[in-house]
Amino acid sequence: MSSDNTFSLNLKIWRQKGANAEGKLVDYHVDHVSPDMSFLEMIDVLNEQLVRKGEDPIAFDHDCREGICGMCSMMIDGKAHGGYKNTTTCQVHMRLYKNGDTIVVEPFRASAFPIVKDLAVDRSAIDKVMIKGGYISANTGNAQDGNSILIPKPIADEAMDAAACIGCGACVASCPNGSGMLFMGAKISQLALLPQGQPEAPQRALNMVHEHDTLGFGNCTNHAECEATCPKGISIEHIARMNREYIKAAFTYHEKTRSE
Amino acid sequence: MAINLDAKSPAGDLKDKWSKHKFESKLVNPANKRKFTVIVVGTGLAGGSAAATLAELGYNVLSFCIQDSPRRAHSIAAQGGINAAKNYPNDGDSVKRLFYDTIKGGDYRAREANVYRLAEVSNNIIDQMVSQGVPFAREYGGYLDNRSFGGSQVSRTFYARGQTGQQLLLGAYSGMMKMVSKGKIKMYNRREMMDLVTINGKARGIIVRNLITGELEKYAADAVLLCTGGYGNVYFLSTNAMTSNASAAWRCHKRGAAFANPCFTQIHPTCIPVHGDYQSKLTLMSESLRNDGRVWVPKKENDPRKPADIPEEERDYYLERVYPSFGNLAPRDVSSRQAKYRYDEGKGVGPTKQAVYLDFADAIKRLGQDTISGRYGNLFEMYERITGDNPYKTPMMIYPAVHYTMGGLWVDYNLQSTVPGLHVLGEANFSDHGANRLGASALMQGLADGYFVAPNTVSHYLASTTLEKVTTDDPAFKDAEQAVMLQTSKLLGVKGKRTVDDFHKALGHIMWEKVGMARNEAGLKSAIEGIRKLREEFWQDVNVPGDAGHFNLELHKATRVADFLELGELMALDALERKESCGGHFREEYQTADGEAKRDDENFAHVAVWEYTGSNSSPIRHKEELKFEYLQLATRSYK
Amino acid sequence: MATSAVTHYFRSSIGRKQLVAITGLALCGFLVGHLTGNLLLLVSSDAFNIYAHKLISLGALLYVIEAGLAAVFLVHLGLAMKLNMENMQSKGKYQQKTKTGRGTTFASQTMPYTGVMLLVFLILHLISLKFGTHYETTVDGVVMRDLYRTTIEYFRSPIATAWYVIAMAAAALHTSHGFASAFQTMGWNHGKYFKNVKRLGLIYAIVVGAGFAGISIWCHLKGV
Repeated sequence: MSSDNTFSLNLKIWRQKGANAEGKLVDYHVDHVSPDMSFLEMIDVLNEQLVRKGEDPIAFDHDCREGICGMCSMMIDGKAHGGYKNTTTCQVHMRLYKNGDTIVVEPFRASAFPIVKDLAVDRSAIDKVMIKGGYISANTGNAQDGNSILIPKPIADEAMDAAACIGCGACVASCPNGSGMLFMGAKISQLALLPQGQPEAPQRALNMVHEHDTLGFGNCTNHAECEATCPKGISIEHIARMNREYIKAAFTYHEKTRSE
Repeated sequence: MAINLDAKSPAGDLKDKWSKHKFESKLVNPANKRKFTVIVVGTGLAGGSAAATLAELGYNVLSFCIQDSPRRAHSIAAQGGINAAKNYPNDGDSVKRLFYDTIKGGDYRAREANVYRLAEVSNNIIDQMVSQGVPFAREYGGYLDNRSFGGSQVSRTFYARGQTGQQLLLGAYSGMMKMVSKGKIKMYNRREMMDLVTINGKARGIIVRNLITGELEKYAADAVLLCTGGYGNVYFLSTNAMTSNASAAWRCHKRGAAFANPCFTQIHPTCIPVHGDYQSKLTLMSESLRNDGRVWVPKKENDPRKPADIPEEERDYYLERVYPSFGNLAPRDVSSRQAKYRYDEGKGVGPTKQAVYLDFADAIKRLGQDTISGRYGNLFEMYERITGDNPYKTPMMIYPAVHYTMGGLWVDYNLQSTVPGLHVLGEANFSDHGANRLGASALMQGLADGYFVAPNTVSHYLASTTLEKVTTDDPAFKDAEQAVMLQTSKLLGVKGKRTVDDFHKALGHIMWEKVGMARNEAGLKSAIEGIRKLREEFWQDVNVPGDAGHFNLELHKATRVADFLELGELMALDALERKESCGGHFREEYQTADGEAKRDDENFAHVAVWEYTGSNSSPIRHKEELKFEYLQLATRSYK
Repeated sequence: MATSAVTHYFRSSIGRKQLVAITGLALCGFLVGHLTGNLLLLVSSDAFNIYAHKLISLGALLYVIEAGLAAVFLVHLGLAMKLNMENMQSKGKYQQKTKTGRGTTFASQTMPYTGVMLLVFLILHLISLKFGTHYETTVDGVVMRDLYRTTIEYFRSPIATAWYVIAMAAAALHTSHGFASAFQTMGWNHGKYFKNVKRLGLIYAIVVGAGFAGISIWCHLKGV
């Protein structure tokens, strides 16, 4: 039900027609913002206003709106997903803001993530890194019984911590260097923790890191901004495990790796 | 045109049907597999696993997804878990029991052979997922852990925290990425399927819209697999993702694929209540919460007190009261209906007076807060983020919401629709859940279809069918493309006053009120009227700004809503024609004295299969009679 | 084109930053040695001069050690600059004003600046002390360089002392991030121990920074 405690906001939103167009921040005003609204619902309301006026609505990525698909992005006041602990943009609620606030909304920015339109960016670089080894090569068929591979609870839990990555790219956007080490480290670490991941561990680390480096991601300098921003709370310990896996692989792996 | 509804269930003993069928299926020799191209639309559990497996077999796979990456398909949002008949806890589970629970849970409206096969391959799914590195929850000894879900008395649900769907989807996605790296899958992201292309009566390709450039693209293949999920977003508010839509399935329906049981929708009892008319979607709280949470309402009507101030004896733990043997783990349709009865009686809570409490106080007292937060921590956090309430301190408020659609395109035992070559997998088909789906079974079905069923049956189709060479230069592609372009320009040309969401919300309102948890003849008739009127208004007054040549989100929404406005009517019509209550389909005229669903096995033990006959004529209702050879039709009771 | 994994390593982001980390830790070790030597200034002029003389008497070996040290320093500096230049390219045309104060710290953000400052400092330091005024003294009948006097005279200037103190603050800042960061880069981050590594890094930064700066102030006071 609509309540009377609604308020008004000023927004500065990045508008950019396409990948190669010039963009700029444009001022908008939204009334009747309810504290129970999510941030994206607030943008929906604004878009409804724009459509009624015959203007082009703001393009932004979103899908599940429950914090798991990783589709929503946005830098809210300079912070990826608004900078609230373990929260994606779709789960940011307007009760965190107050009447008269001015909020700056920009797309995720990184050379590896070119802008598609307005607030939507192209994050296919994440898939490209995964294609180089973010998997265990187990073909469908008669896999052995699930319980024949025993995995101690603490190890399974730690692998799960890493596997929680939603591939949203907030780590890249928030990193001052635009580095992709956290999402990549999470995958390498998850599979390095599990016994099933061992056979391919060296190629995985070598090939994924190599691909990362060629896609325009920056280098990690351990700011740990990614860890502070990650909506799934993934720790940079996983980056450390990747670093370990990588050096081990570089100096002990026998087979020559393919560079392409 | 008469449609062929031969279910092709193999003869023989239930236990041997699938292995016999596999043996009798024709094979494609390894060297010939690379000569075939298969289109897979959708990259959820069904689409992702099918694409990966078909590519492993050697077929060339073209995979399409609507999001910016196949990893974002809405299977990712499934929380609770996946069923399998492993019987690890030694609590009496078996393939047969999983089969029985699923048939009973679906209120005896599913096909026995399909469901048995589902139960049979459930164990392989767990093994397959473990081998791919899915970090299922483990016990300290390293063994896989299980929990319970609604509608069953055994613990057979495997889980990965509260994000099982995510982990399974990422498993399927990783399998796809492996095959992309080998060049066997070509991935097309940000594409929406706009039409199916049939040539000589067979599915031979698709038309998609590139959502970024707005251009239409044509792709030809030897078979098409539709794995595009359900149509819950007809209701506007549902737990589905924003881009979950029915268009791919609906366009296939218009091209000749019959639609089965469209009225069977699942209303999930544990969602976060609606808070305002700007609301864009509903968020599910996993059914697994009912393992430890107790559902209650105040005994007094319109009780203004805070939950903490209501003493134990003035609370009605109605699920425990009405269903002593299943208690809080009664199936979804039953639990939702009971919640509806409570707020119809004026005992609902929260600002809308339509919610009920889900209380963890007892569980926290019994197990400690740490254990509870270990089990449900992320769900509790999510609840607090959305509502601002802390569920460790005050009971959650929950509310039923549209969650899943059991109906879908009709398929035979081979998962092939009435259009040869068009196979339909996962939630998009109708096959396994009857009139109600049990918790933790959707993930199971999606993966069963994609990993184990379709790869066999699609091979059989390719091996046993004469497929002439087809390219996208075929006139059929041109015609289909023209039709899409025509519809697009029509939408852009209306230039009316109301927004797309406006119409979608109006449709959702009709659907929820009249084709929702309880339905009746008068309501359904007025729903059909209302939807027709709304559809006319839509085509006269919708406002879609911009043009088709760029990333136009309003246009994308408009094409989906145009299809929902047609599908909604069919759902109401199907509900009107099914003059019985079963599972999620509850007709107020057909109930027992204590408000339970009253099935009519004599007249309705069949699948209602709808044939499209054109925009100006009524659809035809066909029947696929359901034969129960191994289970006896019985009244479904959870008391 | 097949390239060996080891070659990749030296071209990759992780490989190069691990070299930065290892050389950084080596330089940290060197600073501890240097500081210990400097403490002899507080003992007596003779003690300090004998220590310096012993180092000088190493002859050819000293050149080898110095060359090694220079190499370590150049690898650290060169790779860090290269990585930093790449990082400046990786955020695209528009830099958004990232409000931090969460992961990023003042120290982590200023690593390139404090690094360059330390390079300038090092050059001046070598010119004014190692290659500074050459005095001679005799201790126990042995003629040797009176580096003690060079040092005290140099720090007589308040500007020289102030610059030295500022540079040491930069060194403290640089190592306060760099020390623990090197452990993380090498992969030595374990939930159980890493907090202590961070603490150790902070203690190291304070001890080394304050140690060098304190001695320079002592020299200044001694000289005037």
